[in-house]
Amino acid sequence: MTNLIRGLVSFGVASLAVAFLLARALPREAAASLGYLVGLFAFLIGVGGLAAFQHWLKDKEEEQVHGWQRYFRFTTDHKVIGVQYLVTSLVVFVLAGVMALVIRVELAKPGLQFLSYDTYNTVMGIHGIGMIVVALIAIIGGLGNFSVPLMIGTKDMAFPRLNALSFWILPPAVLLLLSSLVTGGFDFGWTAYPPLSVRGPLGKLFFVLAFISVGFSSIFGGVNFVATISQLRAKGMSLFKMPIFVWSILAAGIIIVLATSVVASALLMILFDRVLGTTFFDPSQGGNVLLYQHLFWFYSHPAVYIMILPAFGVILELLPVYARKPLFAYRLAALSFVAIVVLSFVVWAHHLFTSGMWDALSIPFMVTTELISVPTGVVFLSALGTLWLGKLQLKTPMLFALGFLVNFLIGGLTGIFNADVPTDLHLQDTWFVVAHFHFTIMGGAIFAWFAGIYHWFPKITGKMYNETLGKIHFWLLLIGFNATFIPMFWLGTRGMRRRVADFPPDLASVQLWISLVGLMVVLAVAVFLFNMIRSWVKGESAPSNPWEARTLEWNP
Amino acid sequence: MEQKTTPVLKGGSDPNGIRGLPPYLIIAGLTVLCSIGLFSVVSHVRMMPEAASYEATWVDQAFDGLLKLTIPIFSLVLMTLLFSVVRFRTRPGRPHEEGVRFDRSRGEFVEVLWIAISLVLTVGLAAFGAKEFRLIRGTDQADVDIQVNSSQWSWEFFYPSYNQYASSLILPEGKRVRLLLTSKDVVHSFWVPEFRVKQDALPGKVVKLLFTPSKTGTYQLLCAELCGTEHTIMTARVNVVDAKAFEATMKEESWEGR
Repeated sequence: MTNLIRGLVSFGVASLAVAFLLARALPREAAASLGYLVGLFAFLIGVGGLAAFQHWLKDKEEEQVHGWQRYFRFTTDHKVIGVQYLVTSLVVFVLAGVMALVIRVELAKPGLQFLSYDTYNTVMGIHGIGMIVVALIAIIGGLGNFSVPLMIGTKDMAFPRLNALSFWILPPAVLLLLSSLVTGGFDFGWTAYPPLSVRGPLGKLFFVLAFISVGFSSIFGGVNFVATISQLRAKGMSLFKMPIFVWSILAAGIIIVLATSVVASALLMILFDRVLGTTFFDPSQGGNVLLYQHLFWFYSHPAVYIMILPAFGVILELLPVYARKPLFAYRLAALSFVAIVVLSFVVWAHHLFTSGMWDALSIPFMVTTELISVPTGVVFLSALGTLWLGKLQLKTPMLFALGFLVNFLIGGLTGIFNADVPTDLHLQDTWFVVAHFHFTIMGGAIFAWFAGIYHWFPKITGKMYNETLGKIHFWLLLIGFNATFIPMFWLGTRGMRRRVADFPPDLASVQLWISLVGLMVVLAVAVFLFNMIRSWVKGESAPSNPWEARTLEWNP
Repeated sequence: MEQKTTPVLKGGSDPNGIRGLPPYLIIAGLTVLCSIGLFSVVSHVRMMPEAASYEATWVDQAFDGLLKLTIPIFSLVLMTLLFSVVRFRTRPGRPHEEGVRFDRSRGEFVEVLWIAISLVLTVGLAAFGAKEFRLIRGTDQADVDIQVNSSQWSWEFFYPSYNQYASSLILPEGKRVRLLLTSKDVVHSFWVPEFRVKQDALPGKVVKLLFTPSKTGTYQLLCAELCGTEHTIMTARVNVVDAKAFEATMKEESWEGR
């Protein structure tokens, strides 16, 4: 704990001191950027990053810290880092969830209730980018870090210190993002389209810096997974003997490595436009605003596969365990992950059908986008084939895996309406899109994340979670989630735009319904947190392999 | 070891049905019921606002087509899933059992069939989409040109052939109009839900949008691309009037003239 506090204090003091000192000599934004950069390094040193590198230089073993203290310092143990990621994702999930709650209170009635337009935009943006970060790191960073090295039979990740660095970049980035609430906020959602993002308050700069930081963290993690999985597998574990979860992390890792640098450069161009006076996106100086949208979505569409491939991996890993039979069409499912990786790089412009891009480009991008439904369909085939003639044990992780299939089915099929150019002309930037991606990311990735947490909870903590509370969590969330988000499809087709703080009165009853049933989701998450904390502190001891799973991490 | 303990499914009569009905028949029946239920829901709930342009009818047709495709797929997968959960679940208190694996040739047949069907559906879907998109875009010929200037957070319209400026959009019914969209500052988006077709307005560029209003009435133009503080209230009134009334209004000197 002392390490974390030391880090946070160094971050605050160093960044503020540097920023205010430099502000005398430099423009405000340049001073703030440099201040953050210095603060970031101060934070890393404060949490013990330097010590880890000193040990490495002197070729000494890292000192072992036991007990809960180890979770609050710079350590290289992949299991500790996995738990750090899991808990951090939960914290950000709750923070961004509170933002969702604020949005729902605001949208319970027509007219403005208690937020100004600017605050609404910032709250909505923080909810968006916060949840994006959760979806990016929760499964890969949390469950991946914990389980992958064990599943492939290696001691640790290929680059343990890089692994720790990748995690510890996140807390300052999240703090910076939250501080945008008091520095003017940002009014461009999570996409930061220029020219809107190249002018305006400091809060926007903070968003850009935080985004770039998370990008670096993600790249470090991705490189690490690709290196670990390709180089450190136990003898005899050929590619097609790897657990399907490992396949999914490898696939996601490849996308991270190839795509993230593109969005990082797009955000850097925004930073340069703001701080250095370049004009990448200023049309009056020969810049091009569509360039940003292409660069942004070249990453940000593959990014949804970074979120969902590990979710597929978790589900296909868990179904055989709780259906008591081998995964159906394992090889084909692994190959479909590869197909998704390849296709994910040629679909980005389906976000630009109404952007003013050349019309003729829409058709090929529609074709490639719809082609992704083929490998995604294979995942469903694999899942259904595994359930067929199984002996299904309907434990909480299995329930979440089944819930994933239902939600993702809706999310995937409604995606076709967005991929189809004629219907997208109407649906683009409406709540139909909002409902669609909540079904894929929340109903998909987050459900899979919960499934994975319950499944590996006995392995991570050595305790059993409470099964009854787990089932209550599941049913509250499944019903609450669907009741909340299904009406949003209707709102979208009826003409409700995205990212607005108000709506026409004829939609009022549905909006009120959404705000009310949304509370079920809040309740479900509260039950989950209670169960996790209580079980970790005083749950029953778990047997070494409670699910009789056959992957290596359960070997005593 | 697995090979011995897990029985392998063979062809022949299926013991997994319920009350003598084979599982495939049960799933098919449930799928039909579920599809009928969902179709009746979407036909009773009005999904779309009224259609006030020719393009809107194409968009609605595409939307209906996609519903016809996705509802049966949704029903089939969901019912297979539900059937499996109900039929293959273990009851508490039963001794520990292993599931039944498919024999390989049967599994491969299912895999190939599944991929073939999804490929055919996907290609067909894309072909339909491309055809409808061409119909929606139509030709580049228009009867009326209108410049649409957007800025944070208002719309302004200019009719070059009549030399008229306006803060609300007046359109002639049944005439093809060409909007020339541009922005003074950030990205905005032109969207009238009743017309369906949506188009962003970009700074430093003129983007065309052609469509034909088909129904007189008053509608609302909404900015559909997040554009800053007052994005929520960046709206404008749209009046579709018959062609004669349009000409008359345009010739009025005093009409919002500036």
